[in-house]
Amino acid sequence: MSNNAAIGKQLAQLDKLFEHRVRLAICVLLTQSDRLSFSRFKQLLDQTDGNLGAQLRKLEDADYINVDKRFEGRKPVSWYRITSRGRKQLDSHLAALRQLTQGV
Amino acid sequence: MIDASTHAKGDDLEFVANAIRRRDAKQGTPAIFFLWAVLFLVGWALPDFAPRWTGPFWLVAGIVGGALSWWLGARDAVNKGDCDVELGRRYGFHWLICGAAFFGVFLPFVLGGDALTPFTAEMLGRQFLLVCALAYGLAALHLERGLAIPAAVMGIGYLGLNVWSPPYLWTTMGAVVSIALVIAGLQARR
Repeated sequence: MSNNAAIGKQLAQLDKLFEHRVRLAICVLLTQSDRLSFSRFKQLLDQTDGNLGAQLRKLEDADYINVDKRFEGRKPVSWYRITSRGRKQLDSHLAALRQLTQGV
Repeated sequence: MIDASTHAKGDDLEFVANAIRRRDAKQGTPAIFFLWAVLFLVGWALPDFAPRWTGPFWLVAGIVGGALSWWLGARDAVNKGDCDVELGRRYGFHWLICGAAFFGVFLPFVLGGDALTPFTAEMLGRQFLLVCALAYGLAALHLERGLAIPAAVMGIGYLGLNVWSPPYLWTTMGAVVSIALVIAGLQARR
């Protein structure tokens, strides 16, 4: 198999949902923490409310993360956690990425 | 096309790495640094000015200060929007083990020592300081870099106490450790 064909095969193994860097970063950050709030993501990823909200919604719809909306004092806070499905998908995506970068 | 794609993947990983670096950059709860700055300032002036109150003060301040630190840390995590149970557990175990070490320092004194190793308040003070230096040094290494300077001050103070004993050494050390903690607290606040 040629090098290009091998790389092409590894690219095909990547999870489409993680092709957006913000979605990938959200899930990686959630593996580092128990739960993160919307405002914390905004601070860490430097994204607009609209863009961040849209990316979080896509991950939520795919059941990669779940949201828990509650009041902390008088402030409404959306807390996000990674699901076991999200963690599994992220692990296999990162394994494919690792192979890809090692092959380059 | 494949080259462009792999290059884009590299950029994505750099974006993720930057987000993680940003998250790791700021650690520590300023209020906890300020709380212990006050406790060290008062508690380490006592051996020079009111030595008999030193033990009772640290017995109460250690327990109350520890409980208050735990509460402040949990509140800060919620306010920051970043709750890491595993990290909280590591903090908890670190200070629990250090608490046991402090108890171990006091234990022979409480038991009265024996004929071969009579314990004096000075010896107790030195051992307490050594455990403080180790507790803060290991915390700086594993949990919060901001504690490195207070740990170094404590370590130097311990060596100083063993070599010579200038007047008001404890008060001076308390003041220097407090200033270092306030600086670390202000840095964590930024």
